[in-house]
Amino acid sequence: MKIERYLVPLLLIVSWQGLSSLGIIGGNLLPSPVQIFLGFKDLLTVGMPPGQLLHNHCLYSLIRVALGFALAALLGIPLGLLIGWSGRIRIMVSPVIEMIRPIPPLAWIPIAILWFGIGMKSAAFIIFLGAFFPIVLNTISGALSINPIFFEAMRTLNATPADIFFKVVVPGSTPSIFVGLRIGVGIGWMTLVAAEFTGVKSGYGLGYMIMTARDIQRPDEIIAGMLVIGVIGLLINHVLKILEKKIIRWQ
Amino acid sequence: MPRPYSSSFLIKRRSQMKKLFIFLFITVVTGMSLGNVHAKAPIRIGYLQNDIHQLACWIAIEKGFYKKYGADVEVAGIFRAGPEEMSAFAAGALDMGYVGEAPATTAVANGVAQVTVMAQVNTEGSAIIVGKDNPEREVKDLIGKRITIPGHSTVQDFLLQKALRKFKVDPKKVSIIVLKPPEMIGALKTGQVDAFIAWEPYPAKAQTMGVGQVLLTSGEIWKDHPCCVLVADNRFLAERPEDVTAMVRAHVEATDFINAFPDEAVKIGVRYTGMDEKTVRLAMDNVKYTYVLSIEGEKEYVDFLSHLKYIKVPDVNAFTEKFINQETLQEITGK
Amino acid sequence: MAVNQQIAPSLELLGLTKAFDGEKGGKTVSVLHPLTLKIEKGQFVSIIGPSGCGKTTLLKIIAGLENPSAGQIFIDGNKATHNKNRIGLVFQEYALFPWRTTLQNMEIGLEIQSVPKAKRRAAAMEYVRKFGLEGFEDSYPRQLSGGMQQRVAIARTLLTDPEVVLMDEPFGSLDSQTRNHMQAFLLDVWQSRKVSILFVTHNVDEAVFLSDRIIVFSKRPARITHEFVVPWPRPRDRTSLECNTLRREILETMADTGNLPQRRRGAEDERK
Repeated sequence: MKIERYLVPLLLIVSWQGLSSLGIIGGNLLPSPVQIFLGFKDLLTVGMPPGQLLHNHCLYSLIRVALGFALAALLGIPLGLLIGWSGRIRIMVSPVIEMIRPIPPLAWIPIAILWFGIGMKSAAFIIFLGAFFPIVLNTISGALSINPIFFEAMRTLNATPADIFFKVVVPGSTPSIFVGLRIGVGIGWMTLVAAEFTGVKSGYGLGYMIMTARDIQRPDEIIAGMLVIGVIGLLINHVLKILEKKIIRWQ
Repeated sequence: MPRPYSSSFLIKRRSQMKKLFIFLFITVVTGMSLGNVHAKAPIRIGYLQNDIHQLACWIAIEKGFYKKYGADVEVAGIFRAGPEEMSAFAAGALDMGYVGEAPATTAVANGVAQVTVMAQVNTEGSAIIVGKDNPEREVKDLIGKRITIPGHSTVQDFLLQKALRKFKVDPKKVSIIVLKPPEMIGALKTGQVDAFIAWEPYPAKAQTMGVGQVLLTSGEIWKDHPCCVLVADNRFLAERPEDVTAMVRAHVEATDFINAFPDEAVKIGVRYTGMDEKTVRLAMDNVKYTYVLSIEGEKEYVDFLSHLKYIKVPDVNAFTEKFINQETLQEITGK
Repeated sequence: MAVNQQIAPSLELLGLTKAFDGEKGGKTVSVLHPLTLKIEKGQFVSIIGPSGCGKTTLLKIIAGLENPSAGQIFIDGNKATHNKNRIGLVFQEYALFPWRTTLQNMEIGLEIQSVPKAKRRAAAMEYVRKFGLEGFEDSYPRQLSGGMQQRVAIARTLLTDPEVVLMDEPFGSLDSQTRNHMQAFLLDVWQSRKVSILFVTHNVDEAVFLSDRIIVFSKRPARITHEFVVPWPRPRDRTSLECNTLRREILETMADTGNLPQRRRGAEDERK
């Protein structure tokens, strides 16, 4: 039954509220569920900073992530396919990728601001970095894991290299590409909050909203904001899963 | 084949181990609590990074005023802006601190930290700086431009909002960005922002570097506005009031020292900010060092912060009453 | 030269060998002894031999997937080129592209040849009808049974109009009932298309049922140890005396050359 899935979280929330009401959990360190809910209401109606409402913060953040993610996919998928497809390209490009990959996206923030200034471009760049590597690596893995027998079949059908690339490598990699996309957008969304700490020109963004809530000492809004970020991340993942089912009908 | 242990042996062993554990446990716990009673923990203080307003703190350290009054002080945190320092108070990591009156008011009003203001640290001492090459002449010229503040609910945020309203500029028409002061001059220089407002010596540095010039000093926005205050965590104030008094004494003497021996004060300022003497002198010219508390000033803070919807305070007078402790200062200075 | 015009064999191998370099520069491992073989047009030839003897390698070499160490290959009288040979290969694992429907899998050879869409579609639909796959045109391989998948694979090969169809134990993954059906099906296809087939199998019964000639390979390095000609008309009765006699003969040949572990006389060589 569906109810069992929600039983444990419900119990946790109720006991949490109880402990808060009794004063055992300090309100300044961990707001109660009720306070968080009221904080959420304030985010919707009053805004944080006051005057800047939640839905606009969501919108700007989503646009930033969409830009960074789209760039990561547009560059990462073809690059991954080529690297997976050609041993020569793999040998040439892999060392560079392996060297850049371990650098956390957040470490790029000072350089990003230097190159792109404060604003949409530098935040999208940070998110791009977070999403790019999972996309490339999963695409490569997808291309490499294609059963060699398909290449043999194509060769017996007198296929050209272009035929093999577009008719085998690309479709065969698609499931892994989607895995990479989901992981990439997840990381991009998570990196978002920190990316927006660097300064948002427009004054809108969920990360910026949380940082301001911290400045104005509203832990209830901080946590409400975190929950919003979590829920949106979940929804994005869900949407991608649905998209995947529609596009990959053959699995 | 080793002889298996008999069961009576094992039982005896087990009960011996139990006794040992209990003994150790009691010893450790007693030791820990006794330890607390014997040694008095140093006073954990915090201040803002490169904030020339808080020069009195550095002087009290350098000239030994804290020691003189029996205060064993430990610098537990140097913060990039006021709200961060207030978070540290909330976490119980600080006993006393030099911090902006706006972030302190916000934190207390929102129930996140419990501190009391013990003395003023300075008035005025900030400025709106615009670019050297494309200087805006008046506040109205800021419309459509990008200004950076050290954080929301800092004194500088407060002052900027006041200035915009004073000169009838709709705050929504200005793009406000949050950056930490060390990043501001670079951002102005590279044209990423058109103006910044920060505590001294950053405005002075922008000028001596030839990067910017003053649009408006904070004194021109609100004359004699209280800025930084010396606060004490309420728990600490209750447990060790004599230490708090000692700190205030040291602070008073350090503040007098700045006004009496400005050249030596400059030297200490140079050491703590890492900036050159010319900059520090220019900065200090814009700051008024005083320990005199302003009740009216605080009420203005509460009113305006409520207007900004940062806080919700139903009774301004009661709040201010509780927030500021005038007795200790009066006791020390007779004022 | 009109009088002496001969029809070129579909497939001719001359002195084909294959050897691998031994591991770590050790002795070279010879997989195929010099092999000479001819398949005339429309012939059904089976190759029987123990596992690992090199039959699959031979097919791969003929299909152009591997290079021989020496020797020549002629297809329809022409020297085999690197690409563009009229050879088809049917795999034991079907090798249908999972992301393509039945029709799309069948058409792919024609796609590669840049045949226009309408023509491809029509040609493929014909095979759908001929092979009894109506209703499954838009199904994906995962939705098809093993027998159906192999039929699609065979159609895919035939649509490219090959001179020779190579088949590498194509029914090895099927249960014995489906296997028998597929053998009958293959004979139908072969008789209507008159294409030459080179058929590799473990299964002596299958070879006897299907082939014009059965070639026995030794174990590695493979050489032709014996060749049996099967002149009987089709369809053949598996249980007939002649088939059984031939089967026994073949098994004995293989046992004699040490290709099989010792068995009781008359025991069937069941796969695995």
